[in-house]
Amino acid sequence: MDGQLSAPTQATSLFDQTVIPGDIIVDLPSVANLRVGSGLRQDCFELLAMKVGTLRYKKPNKYWLESSHKRYDPSVEDTILGIVVGRNSENFLVDIKSSSLALLPVVAFEGGTKKNIPKLEIGSLLYVRVVKANHGTNPELSCTDASGKAAQFGPLKEGYMFDSSTGLARMLLSTPTCPVLQAFDLQRFKIVIGLNGRIWVNASTPSMVVLISNAIMASEFLSASQQANMVKELTDQLQTRCSVR
Amino acid sequence: MEQRLANTWHMTINEKKFIESALSKNIRVDGRSPVDYRQLTIKFGREDGSSEVQLGETHVIGLVSGQIVQPYRDRPNEGTLAIFTEFSPMADPAFEPGRPGEFAIELGRLIDRGLRESRAVDMESLCIVAGKSVWAIRVDLHILDNGGNLIDTANIAALAALLTYRKPECTLGGENGQDVVVHDPEVREPLPLIIHHMPVAVTFAFFNEGDAMVIDPTHKEEAIMGGRMTATLNSNGDVCAVQKAGGDGVSLSVITHCLRLAALKAVDITSKIKNAVDSYNTARALRKVKRHNALVAPDITVPDSVMKGNQIGQLAEHQAQKFKEESTKTFDTETVVGIPKETVLFNKKNINFIRKDSDSFIGGPSNWDPYSQSIPPTFVRSSQIFPGSSTVDHKKEARTMLIESNSEETKSNNASSGLSRTSSMSQQRTTPKSLKDAVKPKSERKNRPSPASAAN
Repeated sequence: MDGQLSAPTQATSLFDQTVIPGDIIVDLPSVANLRVGSGLRQDCFELLAMKVGTLRYKKPNKYWLESSHKRYDPSVEDTILGIVVGRNSENFLVDIKSSSLALLPVVAFEGGTKKNIPKLEIGSLLYVRVVKANHGTNPELSCTDASGKAAQFGPLKEGYMFDSSTGLARMLLSTPTCPVLQAFDLQRFKIVIGLNGRIWVNASTPSMVVLISNAIMASEFLSASQQANMVKELTDQLQTRCSVR
Repeated sequence: MEQRLANTWHMTINEKKFIESALSKNIRVDGRSPVDYRQLTIKFGREDGSSEVQLGETHVIGLVSGQIVQPYRDRPNEGTLAIFTEFSPMADPAFEPGRPGEFAIELGRLIDRGLRESRAVDMESLCIVAGKSVWAIRVDLHILDNGGNLIDTANIAALAALLTYRKPECTLGGENGQDVVVHDPEVREPLPLIIHHMPVAVTFAFFNEGDAMVIDPTHKEEAIMGGRMTATLNSNGDVCAVQKAGGDGVSLSVITHCLRLAALKAVDITSKIKNAVDSYNTARALRKVKRHNALVAPDITVPDSVMKGNQIGQLAEHQAQKFKEESTKTFDTETVVGIPKETVLFNKKNINFIRKDSDSFIGGPSNWDPYSQSIPPTFVRSSQIFPGSSTVDHKKEARTMLIESNSEETKSNNASSGLSRTSSMSQQRTTPKSLKDAVKPKSERKNRPSPASAAN
């Protein structure tokens, strides 16, 4: 316990730094009313990192870890894309790229009752919200917002879906608009980004959809200017190919 | 059941419909044209006969090994070839450990047919004693990552591994002259297999009831394809094998079109494999030459007491002479001299300085040349600035000279075969010095430490 008294200085030095699982972040007694975000866990008097990532801090008392993984760890109020893989009498079984399947109650739709259960086939893609996420139990989902309205949740029709890391999904959802999406501002397309690393795109032509999906997949580790250049090159290539045909 | 559902890979209806509709317009999801292959990378491991092939995201490792066995009764003068596949569960959530599934067996059979029935690998050269001992060649294919089109990737891995495998040389010996003596690779250079031609597999996937066809399907395309066909051809256009196991029916015109495309792709892939194997062989030959120097390496780390200033000087002067004789005319001695002399003072203090740099300027012996004089300061500095190819020649020469002088002490045949090669090289290059100079007169030989004791 004696070693922990020196932790406050240790904590400030770790802000915006990469930490690995097991690193002690902050000495709890010195900070009151802590708000712990994703990737961090309280262990007696220590705050431990559970994943590899960058430690972020917002005054006065918010700590969280920014990391990027291929697998998703469900947390409440996240909006994600799930695939229906099964059904029982009470729930739809939905795959959300997590270690366990999630349950979507058959009545968790706007105006949903036992009598008007929506017909979702196996393989349907849904935009859902995480309602419960505890370690050890299956996560629970809902296709309504907190007040019970549909609010764009529900099944997605047509279009194309692809997988990415959770970090890329967050980058695409950040404000100001991510450069790769900004570069497409003259085109018309629809995009739905799930925080679990699934992205759905739809546009007027298949070649446009292919272009956008490949540009997004390639943009993860590029800088802003590189992203803009890449998109420009790809659109030019597409133009020449279309004109050749 | 639920855990199994959670761990399998699922495809959405949206993806299925989109890929099919895009293919009807000849658009593929990764932007390729329907007849393009993904990027092919062929790498080799340290041992002979190990290859690592990546086709896009698909990753396969090939390993070839040989064993001496009794031949089959009906073919007493032919060796055997066997293909084993291992579908690692880390490659795909659908792969289970344990017994190979249907597709694993199909893949093994397909590659086996392509190599065996087309007589690509010469079996009779694998015979050692007819009816008694033959080589059994075993090819192990490990699937590391399933990104689609395992057949083509595994075939390329098998070919690359077979082309770089070397079997140990065997002779008949022993008391009765009937025993097979397998020579150690260090003693006698192992031999490559005789491969007559390279059968390359090209896989086609059919969609929309035979309307659309693509080459080299990805994992997603394979999940929704209606049928698959693999054609194994060599670069001459000979068809070695064709496999179409169920799936959608296709018309004869489609099949002939596919075979023609496969012939073109086979030429392309054959040249890529050949280039990779050639660069591996040159790297291997270079490694063989350098290995002789390992015998001499212990010499460098001699203790202070043995290394005396004038002897280093003698060596260095010898090097300096070579350097000046054979160095290119691109740099003047004047620029070399222009270096301030304070930095290069040759006195006892700098013995350590030279020794630290011994890795950079010479890998040779410390004190054997009686004919040179003290080291010029210019050489020490210049050797650091211009470590060009000319110094490499000197290194080789110094080493060959040492090897020749120690030829009585070393017993390994390997060194001797290396000697004959390198001595011929040195004879071509040496003008002022001859072989006699390398061998010291008997009276002086006793004082020199042998390589074995120098290492102590």
